Amino acid sequence: MFLNTREGLALALPAAVFSFLLFLVPVGILLSEAFRVDGGWSLGGYVEFFSKPLNQTVFFRTLKLGVLVTLTAAVIGYAAAICIVNLGPTTRGRVFGLVVLPLMISPVARTYAWIVILGRTGIVNDAIVGLGLSDTPIRLLFTETAVFLGLLQLFLPLMIISLVSAMENIPKDLIPAARVLGANWLQVFFRVILPLTREGLVIGGTLVFTGALTAYITPAILGGSKVLMLETLLYQRVNVSNDFVSASVIAMILIVMSFSANLLLRRIATARR
Amino acid sequence: MRGLTSWIILGLTLTFLIGPFLIIILAGASGGPSLAFPPDGLSLKWYAKVFTVESFRASFLLSMFLAVFGTLAALLLGIPAAYALNRYKLPGDETIRMIVAAPIIVPGIIVGLALLRYLVVPLDFTVTVALFLAHTALVLPYAVRVVSASLHNLRADIEEAAVLLGCSRLGAFMRVVLPNIRGGVLAAFILGFVTSFNQVPVSLFLSGPGVRTLPIDMLAYMEITYDPSVAALSALLAFLSLAIVFAAERLLGFSRYV
Amino acid sequence: MSDRHVSLIDLTLAYGGTIAVPGLTLDIVKGELIALLGPSGCGKTTTMRAIAGLLKPAAGRISIAGRDVTHVPANKRGVGLVFQSYALFPHLSAFENVAFGLRLRHSSETVIRARTEAGLATVGLSALATRRPAELSGGQQQRLALARSLVMEPSVLLLDEPLSNLDARLRLDMRSELQRMQRQTGVTMVFVTHDQAEALALADRVVLMRAGVIEQLGTPADLYSRPATAFAAGFMGFENIFRVEGTSLVSDAGAVPLGFAAGAPILAWRPGGVAVGAGPYAGQVVASSFAGSHREYVLESPLGRIKADVPIERAGAALGETVAFDLPQETVWPLMT
Repeated sequence: MFLNTREGLALALPAAVFSFLLFLVPVGILLSEAFRVDGGWSLGGYVEFFSKPLNQTVFFRTLKLGVLVTLTAAVIGYAAAICIVNLGPTTRGRVFGLVVLPLMISPVARTYAWIVILGRTGIVNDAIVGLGLSDTPIRLLFTETAVFLGLLQLFLPLMIISLVSAMENIPKDLIPAARVLGANWLQVFFRVILPLTREGLVIGGTLVFTGALTAYITPAILGGSKVLMLETLLYQRVNVSNDFVSASVIAMILIVMSFSANLLLRRIATARR
Repeated sequence: MRGLTSWIILGLTLTFLIGPFLIIILAGASGGPSLAFPPDGLSLKWYAKVFTVESFRASFLLSMFLAVFGTLAALLLGIPAAYALNRYKLPGDETIRMIVAAPIIVPGIIVGLALLRYLVVPLDFTVTVALFLAHTALVLPYAVRVVSASLHNLRADIEEAAVLLGCSRLGAFMRVVLPNIRGGVLAAFILGFVTSFNQVPVSLFLSGPGVRTLPIDMLAYMEITYDPSVAALSALLAFLSLAIVFAAERLLGFSRYV
Repeated sequence: MSDRHVSLIDLTLAYGGTIAVPGLTLDIVKGELIALLGPSGCGKTTTMRAIAGLLKPAAGRISIAGRDVTHVPANKRGVGLVFQSYALFPHLSAFENVAFGLRLRHSSETVIRARTEAGLATVGLSALATRRPAELSGGQQQRLALARSLVMEPSVLLLDEPLSNLDARLRLDMRSELQRMQRQTGVTMVFVTHDQAEALALADRVVLMRAGVIEQLGTPADLYSRPATAFAAGFMGFENIFRVEGTSLVSDAGAVPLGFAAGAPILAWRPGGVAVGAGPYAGQVVASSFAGSHREYVLESPLGRIKADVPIERAGAALGETVAFDLPQETVWPLMT
């Protein structure tokens, strides 16, 4: 540890000033815009935004999909993470690599694949028509299900990674010890694994939930204008009607939701310790 | 029995994560005129077509430029910051940490819009400059985080040892610190590159006519045409990312740093 | 004093706002091996870092070989430092670690090669020149760190707890190794330690420090047999220290009558100076451990816990037994403070 404060600040400040000027200041101004609709400071922008039924629908849909994606990711994530942790070291490394791999691929590419799968002439519709379940292809794209699947596929790796690293920190003998003491597998999960991986669940949960809230590509490609989410709504408000007040309100909602999700999960994680 | 259950769970999960990606590779190799799976006969014509689309070439170059130079700029700002935050007791270091990490927390689309409204328009920046600044700021948190992690694992007293052997402080950093965090810096570069190259929301508002990043260009192309060339391009980009990551993993065990 | 080599003159050192060393004055003679001894937080490491130039003094001066170096930066002082952690460069081979400083001086390649090889030979690491530090054992790393400093021919070599990271056997080897190297090179060595046995075994002179102040300075023999204060006595193995009040011997636990005229306000005995088997006092054996030639007892007495070493042939008392003991005048060490 070096004591020369001036030297340290000289090294740290360029990055901080850069982020401050190019990030916090513009974002701050944008967020303040919704409070200045009637000349002075007011909440008018918020009141008007929430008075529109479409905006309400989009808000609740975003919240609902965010929660659903996070919960599903947690369930699948735990199952997969437990399996991965129990593998031998070499296989574990390879499987873990396959989980991480999608993160390196462009979200546009990853989302685009769902068009091929869920489109009118996609695999699923071919199967449905082929099996005689329906005479005509059914609409799968531009539904909440499509957006849900796309988001889940996009963010599941983050949950698995967080849970695997949390589980690697559980002492090796703990689970056999619990078994010897008479716990069945469900009890082992709820009394040993879950409490010891809460921190990982919080990190993974925050990443997935925030990711799902703020994803643009997936709702844009798989939801379109039929299944608007907050991000796509924001884009539409700005591009179609130059409505910066709505944009500012949505921005604030997204930031507040991300932060509260993190706080809430943290609270849950520490509550029962 | 438990082994089997475990492999079924893993198999399904991996199919869900990787399967769509395999489908896209094949869909791009379709011989037919429109997107279909299974493909109507196999051909590489859509893969070839990608290279002939003029806008793809321009946007690919722009994305490359942003990813390489944005990340370099972020490292130039981020390495000293990471060093200072690790090696000095600074007043307000938590605040500095938060400011630098902010670009991760704030949704990208908001950042893009805010930069457009309050920086590009009033200050008359060109779109390219704005994109460059935005991508730099976006990658900065990753650069600081990854470099911090490798600095954290490096003892500080080797710098004092170097100074006592005759180095200046800067010399000690160049000769002793930098060679030892080389892996972390390269990992930060790759992570930054991939993040920047794949970035959409920040660039969404900042892209203007003729100046688009590749992912944005692909989105725009998809709205007009429904042919398999986007699938082919997606597959090619994925291979590019994977090649870079695998090379890095082979060279220095990249995954240790992320 | 013409032979004084390093002088600390009224040196005041502050660490993050608090003063760790208030006005220290010390002369170190050329070619001597001097130990800064004291408990953690006594300012010994701070003092060493100030000599190296890694810490700017708040006040006072430092001079080395007649030159005032108070404001000379660390890289221009010509002082060597062997770190407690060794601080070897992980990315460089043993050879390049030793050559590091020579290269910075822009010596010619032949000179660098010759001196580096000689340095490695001095510490017996010639065969391991191509190894990275991580591939060396603890003792080898230590010798490499030593060689790295020695090839620079420093006017002073500082060593921070040089033996603390080694196991017991290596520690003995390294002690003689350090003495041999000091004689061979004639370099002035200052080492910091919290281990009195180490300081006494190695040093020509020992500086006992407490709260940033020199408690006592002298040869190992001086310190061992003639500690000047209760603190020094405690550090030198006088584990039974009591106050004298009137004709009584007093501790925090209680008091007993003293059988002789004290002549000093504080009296101290080593465990070996306590006579067990006969005497005016009684104590119950609460701990007893075998130590080769003798047995170490802890006796619970009206004075609190007494530590007594009894020659093995006379050590018959069992745990829980109450024995008579004496604190005899022949083995007492009187202290004024």
